[in-house]
Amino acid sequence: MNSVNRENGRETKAGISLKGIILFSIFVLAAYGILYFFAPETALKALKASAKISLSLCLPLSLVFSVMFLLNLFVRPAHIAGVFSREAGMKGMLLSAAAGIISMGPIFAWYPLMKKLREEGAGEGPIAVFLYNRAIKPFLLPVMIAYFGWAYVAIVTILTILGSIVLGYFMSSISRD
Amino acid sequence: MKVAISAEGTTLGAAVSRRFGICPYLIIVDLDTGEWEAVRNPGSSGKRGAGVEAIVLVLSKGVEAVVTGYSSPTAKKHLESNGVDVFTGVSGTIEEALEGYKKGEIQKTQELKPAPLNRWLFLKTSTVADALERSGNQFAAMLPILFSVVLLLGLFNTLVPGKLLASLFSGTAIIDTLWGACLGSIIAGNPVNSYIIGGELLKHGVSLFAVTALIITWVTVGLVQLPAEIAALGRKFALVRNAICFILAVPIALMTVVILNLIAG
Repeated sequence: MNSVNRENGRETKAGISLKGIILFSIFVLAAYGILYFFAPETALKALKASAKISLSLCLPLSLVFSVMFLLNLFVRPAHIAGVFSREAGMKGMLLSAAAGIISMGPIFAWYPLMKKLREEGAGEGPIAVFLYNRAIKPFLLPVMIAYFGWAYVAIVTILTILGSIVLGYFMSSISRD
Repeated sequence: MKVAISAEGTTLGAAVSRRFGICPYLIIVDLDTGEWEAVRNPGSSGKRGAGVEAIVLVLSKGVEAVVTGYSSPTAKKHLESNGVDVFTGVSGTIEEALEGYKKGEIQKTQELKPAPLNRWLFLKTSTVADALERSGNQFAAMLPILFSVVLLLGLFNTLVPGKLLASLFSGTAIIDTLWGACLGSIIAGNPVNSYIIGGELLKHGVSLFAVTALIITWVTVGLVQLPAEIAALGRKFALVRNAICFILAVPIALMTVVILNLIAG
């Protein structure tokens, strides 16, 4: 299963190629280089601003790693496939939402599994719910909370899950048509 | 003699599934010939009567022993009454379980390590090391872009006046939300970057409506990965799903901010 192999993080996120990452990094470093050449003080000021952002991310990122480790320890793609429901009812949608929330890795890595599940009879609703709930990342919550606070994260998470159910029913009704 | 082992996957390296009745696969091994096959468990959906379907499958294949993490008392009773021995409390890979069964070690294990405890208290060092390695790889894969984004934001914070950025947004909730949703649909990447960019945009006076829409569409709408989604799930599914996700982002962003404001008073 491709998704299993790609889960180890060697693949890049969301379809961005390694070449893209390198080019982006070179672009940013070049921008600093050019700025340093023409206005060294401004470049140093920008570096300090970046360092400030990095420092504020240290604690959330260490929590990110901890949660990532726990999820990798106890949740396997096979478990997610097991939680994923082929049923289009409310229970099926909620189970698919749970599978989407605990899934990790880039979205495209999950397409082969979704394709396979669809071929085996999974409805479009549960697949759409699964993909939508990948927006909720338990291991990234520390960073989100650090920026936006508990209340915001709680509201956006609940509304995202509810939105995914609406999407699921809509997709199911379209596929019936 | 045939042995059926509940499995999470279709290979001998797959993990032994915790639940016999709803395991995804059953790996059936003929101990005399060494041949084996992975059969999808018709009861894996977990619906009512799932255990019965797994029992029927096992009996139809002429299996004489079932090896699993856990079997319900009812399933165990039915299997045993049909002459099938049931060995529970087994974890690890199919290969390990098979070896344990051949050596007669499984019976000893089942009494010492009941399945639920096995999972939490008897984690193997290799499992922990594997999880650490996977987390390390995933984390490391996230860092180059994250580092570049932070550097770019430092540059952005220094060079772009907050007022200029804020002026690009109209201040109207719906228009700002749409702008945020458009931006999030175009840009792709790890969601952590959307949190950092969103947080910094907020500091520059961009509305929370726009930032929320950006965060939601960052993952739910994917123009960059649309070709991959079309290839895997079909054109109609991919286009309709992305379109609805874009539309949904607007009310979700609006409601999030409105509810937050109500809570904050």
